[in-house]
Amino acid sequence: MKRTIAYLSLLFILGALLYIANPNYGLKFGPGGSEWLALRYTDNYYITHGLKEVGGMNIVTDIVFDYRGYDTIGEATVLFTAIAGAIALLRPWRRDEA
Amino acid sequence: MNGEAILPYLIIIPLFGAFSMPMVNLLGRKSREAWAVIISGATLAVGSAMFYSVWENRGIIVYTLGAKSPLGQANFPIRIVWEVDLFGALMVFMVTLVSFLAVLYSLGYMKHDTGLDKYYTLIIILELGMLGIAITGDLFNFYVFLEIMSIASYALVAFRNDTWEGIEAGIKYMFVGSIASAFILLGIALLYGQYGTLTMSYLALKLAESPSVTAKVALALFIAGLLFKSGASPVHMWLADAHPAAPSSISAMLSGLVIKIGGIYALARILFSIYGASISVKTVGWVIIIFACITLVIGNAMAVIQNDMKRLLAYSSVGQIGYILLGLGIGLAAYGSQTGEIAMAGAIYHTFNHALMKALLFLVAGAVIHQLGTRNLNELSGIAKTMPKTTFAFLIGAAAIIGMPPLNGFASKWLIYESSAIFNPILGAIAIIGTAFCTAAYVRVLYTFFGRPSESVMKAKDPEGTMLWPIILLVVAIIVMGLFPWQISEKIMIPAVKALENQLAYVSTVLGGA
Repeated sequence: MKRTIAYLSLLFILGALLYIANPNYGLKFGPGGSEWLALRYTDNYYITHGLKEVGGMNIVTDIVFDYRGYDTIGEATVLFTAIAGAIALLRPWRRDEA
Repeated sequence: MNGEAILPYLIIIPLFGAFSMPMVNLLGRKSREAWAVIISGATLAVGSAMFYSVWENRGIIVYTLGAKSPLGQANFPIRIVWEVDLFGALMVFMVTLVSFLAVLYSLGYMKHDTGLDKYYTLIIILELGMLGIAITGDLFNFYVFLEIMSIASYALVAFRNDTWEGIEAGIKYMFVGSIASAFILLGIALLYGQYGTLTMSYLALKLAESPSVTAKVALALFIAGLLFKSGASPVHMWLADAHPAAPSSISAMLSGLVIKIGGIYALARILFSIYGASISVKTVGWVIIIFACITLVIGNAMAVIQNDMKRLLAYSSVGQIGYILLGLGIGLAAYGSQTGEIAMAGAIYHTFNHALMKALLFLVAGAVIHQLGTRNLNELSGIAKTMPKTTFAFLIGAAAIIGMPPLNGFASKWLIYESSAIFNPILGAIAIIGTAFCTAAYVRVLYTFFGRPSESVMKAKDPEGTMLWPIILLVVAIIVMGLFPWQISEKIMIPAVKALENQLAYVSTVLGGA
């Protein structure tokens, strides 16, 4: 019973996602021309001003380390946390040490 | 004081503390503990100064990372912004306060555990993640800090890796939590694909300009993911396993803070500040209200039948989340009216109060477990004789959570009762039923505590200073807050609601009045 409901709701979510994947009323794929400026204006800004404002030839690293560097600090913290957590959980058991 | 100048230290201090902990640990045990206390104490100082500054100025602090203005040479934000209104500042204060007390408590409570350098690193990172969520004004940045918070809490739930339940709860929490995070990330991806921006305030503007089906699907994904994170029924099962299995200092942080910052705060921020103008708030409000009513009844009713002390407290947390969600739901469904404002004020007030009360109750439970080595309520009869201070603290916490008049829980619950009764009497009745169950659960525990002392209880005694002081401080905070309920509500909670409902100010502060 539970499992049936779960599969049905998964199907529903998939249907909703497929519905909005239609470019006529949902997400546009590969926007070009005027759509590019309407939908990807932030990317356009990075591409036009990135070199002058940041100074790197690589737009991706310009964004990742300058415009959105704070997110990168966050990602580094996620990795640090994951390592700290994994080491913490894989340490020997208390009773083994005694 | 200038809030904008001290805001970065809210992130810098815990980040520095966490990353330097492995090195400080080389100096030995004492310095590691001192370092954790210093770092969380300094964060508390910054957090309370920030809260005071925001409260005094009644404004919204905007801080752009890497430039003077978020706009650059364009008319839309290109950089990450922090945006702190009174609601966010209140959450910052709550997080720093309870985290500091939890770190202090850990000094005594975690004494017999191994791997403590990792423990203190993770607890500071947990605090960092919650602070990042509370101050951010960027949607993807919110996700990054949600992940920091979640991953730290998965590891901390399973920290006692030699207990079967720790590992089991950790795995359960991790699977459920990762799926919930994935929902949120998918929602963010859909919004970015449709609107091309990640800044919350500019996104709000874009959403109001051109509503779309994509935005509604993204909203559904956000609500689903965040209800998971806040432990609302019917997806509360991870919470009932994770909170009892974690060390008590962590349970206090999970129950007091994580489910509220990662669930309630984020939900309120997304619904009010991003979607406020572009959706039918009434419909969304009723969706939240329905989940709130289920949560309210199931959480509190399940608390009554528990024999495990911490499991009882965990289910009670689910029940209290129900109250907060009820306030939030009515706040949305009656958006802009007096009733909605009171309900939302009650929700925010109860968020803060419940953080104090549930932290207190979990710390007390930790002290009891530390002394007696059992969480089974049937074996704990009569600890009032041998642990009088601890029992008194539990009495205060239990009375506050039920909502006894001289304590802080009364005012916040009253605001929620009042507004729900005005909004719809059936909801008021459901809220009262929830409280009846909640009272039954806590009276049952107190009845056990004041019973005839059993054999094992006789050699127990009150815990040592580092464990007792956080408990005392929380008791004092609850009693003092209980003395001025309406002043606090009038001076802090109502302005916080006004700041949250004023979406225009939230948007225009970033865009510079554009």
